[in-house]
Amino acid sequence: MAEVASPGAAARSPFRRLRPGTLGASVVLLVMLVLVAYPLVLLVEASFLVEGAGGAKAYGFELWRTAWDAPGLVPSIVNTFYRVVVTEVIAFPAAILIAWAVARTDLPGKKLIDAFFWIAFFLPALPVLMGWILLFDPQYGLANQAWAYLFGVEKGPFDIYTFSGIIFAHIAARSVAAKYIFLSPAFRNLDGAMEEASRIAGASPLRTLLRIVIPVLMPAFLITLCISLIHSLESFEIELVLGPPTNFYVFSTKIYQFIQEDPPMFGVATVLGLAILASMLPLIFWQQYLSHQRSYVTVTSHFSLNILRLRGWRWPTFATIAAFGTLITVVPVVFLVMGTFMSLYGHFGLAEAWTLDHWETVLADPPMLRATGNTLIMGGAAALFGVFWYSLVAYISVRTRFAARGVLDFLSWLPASLPGIILGLALLWVFLNVELFQPLYGTIVVLVVACILNSISTGVQLVKSNMVQLGRDLEEASFITGGSWAYTFRRIVLPLLGPVLIAVGLLTFVSAARNVSTIAMLVASDNRPLAMLQVDHIVDGTFEAGAVVGVLIVLLTLGIAVIARMIGRRFGFSGLR
Amino acid sequence: MTAGDASPFLGLAHISKLFGSFRAVDDLSLGIVEGEVYALLGPSGCGKSTTLRQIAGLDSPDTGTITLRGNVLFSAADDVFVPPQKRNMGMVFQSYAIWPHLTVGETVAYPLRLRRVAGAEVERAVHGILAQVGLDGFADRPSTTLSGGQQQRVALARALVYKPDVLLLDEPFSNLDVKLREQMRVELKLLQRQVGVTVILVTHDQSEALSLADRVAVMNAGRIEQVGDPVELYENPVSPFVRDFIGLSTCFDVTVSAQRGDEAEVRFDGGDTSFVSGAFRGVTPVPGAKLVAAIRPESIEIVRGSGAVGANRLAGTVETLLFIGDRFECHVRAGGLRFLVYVPRSDRLREGDAVTLHVPKDALSLWPK
Repeated sequence: MAEVASPGAAARSPFRRLRPGTLGASVVLLVMLVLVAYPLVLLVEASFLVEGAGGAKAYGFELWRTAWDAPGLVPSIVNTFYRVVVTEVIAFPAAILIAWAVARTDLPGKKLIDAFFWIAFFLPALPVLMGWILLFDPQYGLANQAWAYLFGVEKGPFDIYTFSGIIFAHIAARSVAAKYIFLSPAFRNLDGAMEEASRIAGASPLRTLLRIVIPVLMPAFLITLCISLIHSLESFEIELVLGPPTNFYVFSTKIYQFIQEDPPMFGVATVLGLAILASMLPLIFWQQYLSHQRSYVTVTSHFSLNILRLRGWRWPTFATIAAFGTLITVVPVVFLVMGTFMSLYGHFGLAEAWTLDHWETVLADPPMLRATGNTLIMGGAAALFGVFWYSLVAYISVRTRFAARGVLDFLSWLPASLPGIILGLALLWVFLNVELFQPLYGTIVVLVVACILNSISTGVQLVKSNMVQLGRDLEEASFITGGSWAYTFRRIVLPLLGPVLIAVGLLTFVSAARNVSTIAMLVASDNRPLAMLQVDHIVDGTFEAGAVVGVLIVLLTLGIAVIARMIGRRFGFSGLR
Repeated sequence: MTAGDASPFLGLAHISKLFGSFRAVDDLSLGIVEGEVYALLGPSGCGKSTTLRQIAGLDSPDTGTITLRGNVLFSAADDVFVPPQKRNMGMVFQSYAIWPHLTVGETVAYPLRLRRVAGAEVERAVHGILAQVGLDGFADRPSTTLSGGQQQRVALARALVYKPDVLLLDEPFSNLDVKLREQMRVELKLLQRQVGVTVILVTHDQSEALSLADRVAVMNAGRIEQVGDPVELYENPVSPFVRDFIGLSTCFDVTVSAQRGDEAEVRFDGGDTSFVSGAFRGVTPVPGAKLVAAIRPESIEIVRGSGAVGANRLAGTVETLLFIGDRFECHVRAGGLRFLVYVPRSDRLREGDAVTLHVPKDALSLWPK
């Protein structure tokens, strides 16, 4: 397909001869088609498959008609959107206010606040959730115990296993943090001269805000909102843990439940997944449209920031934001760690309330050791091969005139918009039904592929933007002096991109180590990683062991994210995703 | 436009390049002589940078051939393309393209190391070229700590250290301030004389092209309008584009009233002034023809007083005097027309003074309308 390059200018481009060539690019495209497009096609095909006479394949709308009668399917769709809307209505304005306060006011302790949200962004959801459960469990939750003690009542008012508990868990997890990280650059890069020009022209501060600041920032707001909606829709772990007691299912946990049935209800799960995907299509296209719009916010060298003086509001604002930052980072982690040392989760009254037993048991537990090994291998392999793959895709996209670049861009961007559970379901179809791939099912390879796809959009984007910044001149200067493509890649491109590649690798490792939704259905007994082990512990009610696993995951993710950040800082990309 | 002599050192023949439907380079041919400094001069978007990149091999034309010493570097017809690393050319980029992860010494040694030059020889060559560009003792400095002018010297050293056949300069001075630009111009000219390398310079700055180049090709809309040595271009432009792009001309609409051999008498439209012209540029001034007359401000002689006697003399008054440092720009209203004249600083003219202008007949050129 790649050989049909347009005749004329492109066909004789020297970069065909200089660069890895059309053949190599075609192979990359083919692999991407097999990994991204083909699973989705299989998924769609499967939803129209009906058992014909004598087991023959036939197509029809049978599944699409009957699936709606599956118990809880329609409510799960309603719940999904209800939960997303409520979360965003609270989290989006909060994130805008915080991002604005940090970027455009004389708020003290900006670095601290920045760090809070950055940590919250990288904290894996499940371990954090365990911390919250320890605090807000209706029976033994610490907050409830404290309430009962303070007010002399029998039972505290908090219950995390409710709709509002789920909303709280979302807001305290990534919801606000991710938006903050997205919005901050827009607020920071808004040239103060635009506001000054408006003020000098005679506009009041309010008019300037309404007519200049908000319109200029609107593209950033919209894209953040759009991406947040997509991410919010994907959510899985929080509902998986907090939903079942009140029978609250969203589409992702419902799909997971259908697949867990015996025999698995693949057909119904597929229809549900596709229905959600179809309802997300407008969002996906909207995001694509928005990100191709010209951004108004541009950084120039002559740059001034308008800093609003908060005066008396300075410290109260700081205290409010810092308290929220502490609540979403320090608090859950402290209680998580505390939980690992308790004989029985939440029971402080016991004679021997504190113990090291859980650490000793868990650290000597063979499944636990195997899971740790699996996580390290899975994350390591995903990071290694992922970086290689992302660089290849980025290079073809940025530096060659490969005819099908657009398709490649789309395929590398698509996985970010697919809910993890749907991507996992699609891959499950491939590994169960395509003969060539069947032997791989149950091995770690399946999970590595899933993790590489899970991070591909971010990875390719980061490498691409740094490659663009690198400037083609630097490579051309090497060609001119006599450097071959390989020599130039080794001595110029790699050393300059090296730090970015390391950071991308670490980030890929981090998202692999914390990932649950994409791999939940691909995991078998032998390739179970830490994150899934923790899910098992929580579902089984063995919270103490689950907390130990959670602490290990936090160390593996946040620890590595800190390293990635330090590398990233030196090379000027702080807005890491 | 001719392709130079039969086998130029570097030859471009019938080069065209389309970007979509935009003709960036349009059937361009040129020949460059070994050892000369050849400038491609034109406004932005005229195709000069594209042409340079095609010579370098960073871009390839849609049609035509490029040869160096008779060897084909590019031929669309025969599908020949020699990649840039095999062309043995040096280039200084507009951005300098300084590799931020290498020191000055490593940057300059880069072309030698990839040619597997022995260590001691590399050391010697690097020091030699750094001394030549005035960066002695900078070898261990990280390139990014240097100033713009110093970075340009590094880029120059990197491009010259392996003795390329051709040195390509892409707007080399556009990122420098005016003082430094003039200094670098002199240094580059001296360095080129020492090294003797053939230089192709791309610039939009006429004074850069005129001062540095042995020959200048003025480009417009993907084509070469005129090639010549700087003085010839300045004095005998062959097209209105070259006339207006190089130097400054004041233009008037005129009507031919009489022709005598290689002289023509023209009457300025909207006035009753008649001048004699002895310079015809692509026109045959038959009586009654409507033409354009162009005068360079420095060719007009100006004397105090209103005693206008003789041909091509006109009495007028000084309307405005703009002092621009080394001279005055003087606008004179005469015969219902307005002339721009350069006046030396020593002429103590005042606004309102009566003056007489004299336009030598060869300084008044006639052009098609």
